[in-house]
Amino acid sequence: MTDLEVRDLRKTFRLSRKQRRIERTDEKKRIAVKGLSFTARRGEIYGLLGPNGAGKTTTLRCISTLIRPDEGDIFIDGKSVLKESIEVRKNIAFLTTELKLDDFFTPNYLFGYFSRLHGIDEKTMEKRRTEQFERFGIDKFAEVKVADLSSGMKQKTSLAISLVHDPDFIIFDEPTNGLDVLTARTVIDYLLEMREAGKAIIISTHILSVVEKMCDRVGIIIDGELKVSDELAKVKALDENGDLEEVFFHLVEESAGDFAHA
Amino acid sequence: MRNMFVIFRKELYRVLTDKRLVLTVFILPGLSIFVIYTIIGTLVQAQFTEPEDYETKIYAENVPDAIVHRLDETMNYRFIEGELTRDDIEEQIMDEKIDLAVIFAEDFEERIIDKSPNPPGVTVFYNQGNQSSASAHTRFSAVMNAYHESIIKERLDDPADYHPYILATENIIDERSMAAQGFAMLLPMLIIIFLFAGAMSIGPDAIAGEKERGTIASLLVTPTKRRDIALGKVTSSALLSLLSALSAFIGIILSLPRLMMADETMPDISIYGAQEFLAIFFLLVVTVIFIVGLISIISAYAKTIKEASMLIMPFYFIAMIIGIMNSFGAEVNQNPLVHLVPIYGPINMLSGILLFDYSLTNFFVTIAANIVYIAVFVFILNKMFDNEKVMFAR
Repeated sequence: MTDLEVRDLRKTFRLSRKQRRIERTDEKKRIAVKGLSFTARRGEIYGLLGPNGAGKTTTLRCISTLIRPDEGDIFIDGKSVLKESIEVRKNIAFLTTELKLDDFFTPNYLFGYFSRLHGIDEKTMEKRRTEQFERFGIDKFAEVKVADLSSGMKQKTSLAISLVHDPDFIIFDEPTNGLDVLTARTVIDYLLEMREAGKAIIISTHILSVVEKMCDRVGIIIDGELKVSDELAKVKALDENGDLEEVFFHLVEESAGDFAHA
Repeated sequence: MRNMFVIFRKELYRVLTDKRLVLTVFILPGLSIFVIYTIIGTLVQAQFTEPEDYETKIYAENVPDAIVHRLDETMNYRFIEGELTRDDIEEQIMDEKIDLAVIFAEDFEERIIDKSPNPPGVTVFYNQGNQSSASAHTRFSAVMNAYHESIIKERLDDPADYHPYILATENIIDERSMAAQGFAMLLPMLIIIFLFAGAMSIGPDAIAGEKERGTIASLLVTPTKRRDIALGKVTSSALLSLLSALSAFIGIILSLPRLMMADETMPDISIYGAQEFLAIFFLLVVTVIFIVGLISIISAYAKTIKEASMLIMPFYFIAMIIGIMNSFGAEVNQNPLVHLVPIYGPINMLSGILLFDYSLTNFFVTIAANIVYIAVFVFILNKMFDNEKVMFAR
């Protein structure tokens, strides 16, 4: 059994009148993901690489049970996100730089709140809180309201709180998006640590350097279709010079050509 | 259900530890009602009572001694010296230099005594728009009426001509019913308005606020059943709304003596017993949960707190109109079907309880109907929390 399997995932969104007006299109529906399939394993980082609007975030949101696939399914430790979503949520963390924390509360309160929602006992919660807060340097700001934290500290707090339940699967949408260099480094280092600890990590990004620095395997998604999914070295080898950027641009161009021919 | 309590506690903590929210949701409703009603009561009272040391300024011509004598007994006044034309009188009344002007015919007293077929005239000038002037006119009219009656009495030989019959009217309403009517007219309307206002100040933030702040996804990705989220949000908002309404209620009760001008017939809440209080309590609980459920659904649908508040407003107006209609309604409607109607049913039942005019069947119909509505609301909310189009609509 694969640790995480995305099987023939399809997702379509209905475009609102407002969206149609903004995007100047008559399309009523947009296919975000077209039959995506890939696997991720514990102890590795899988990178979903693609341009903006390719369907990366939609895929990660389906994996994290926030939205439901129209077709296909996702299995995490053999559990279906469609049929056993509560069980799946117990063992996943979904992070995004867009995921906000309520400004009114302190990191301490939020850590306790989300721990309780995950059913973690007080003793374990205290131990994890101490570890995580020290790890990210939040301990000095534990009683400061989120509203008064710097954006970097907010992101670290968000990361610590998303992992209160020590899940085996970490899904991170654009992990370094909008972060300063130091915070981005902290986040990357932490994810690498988590990989060493045997977690399965899936990230989405459009930044090639992040993929090269972190990922063991990579999938390139363009217009909702997974063009390639393999070990990073094998994907890079698709270019004679082993340049990931060239592979990426080639696939984008190929896709644009397909689109033009269609 | 464990997570329902976790969410419940978090929502309470969010409101109860926010000084601004505590002030606006729990202290200001009661305080503002107390202050506003006290001011209204004081102003109304002041309108009907002239300060004891106020000296009414009267310009008079040819005042008969009999009238002066009566004025001395009933008013604190002084005559303004001088001779004024009609224009002067009007000007001085408008300038509040005099409150009242009375011009008696020159031979007024003689013509009265002589029973002249051509009755003497009295012209009175006053300003209805001025409190002192209007008050002076009322008192002077009373003096003239008494004088009029005394003349008729003197002129008629047989007292029976003067009193052809004696009318005796006895109001057999007991004080308890009178007080109950006062409460039934005032409280259901105020309670429904304050319950709705309280729920409106809390409900939208709990759901639409989470959507607007982008924090809802963090909650939805935890292993919490959507039903527990719905119940946690609704129950916490209901409790906070009840506390807000309680604050308003305390404000009403404390300001009642002033509002009713410390009247001896002022309603006393002690006319109600434990049964009535218990019935009112259950009725308020289901009503507030119904209102919060409705507001929660609207908030779940809305993208922002502002949008939620706008969408809730028409329902608030409907509730207000129902409350006002109830205040001026003639009788409690005893048709059980009426008690199935949301908002109207509970208000009607509340009036019935306050008037000691209700049946237990109708009471249970009201409670049961509202429990069913609440269950439907929670079911809908559950579905809404599970609906990505609703939760993540942009």
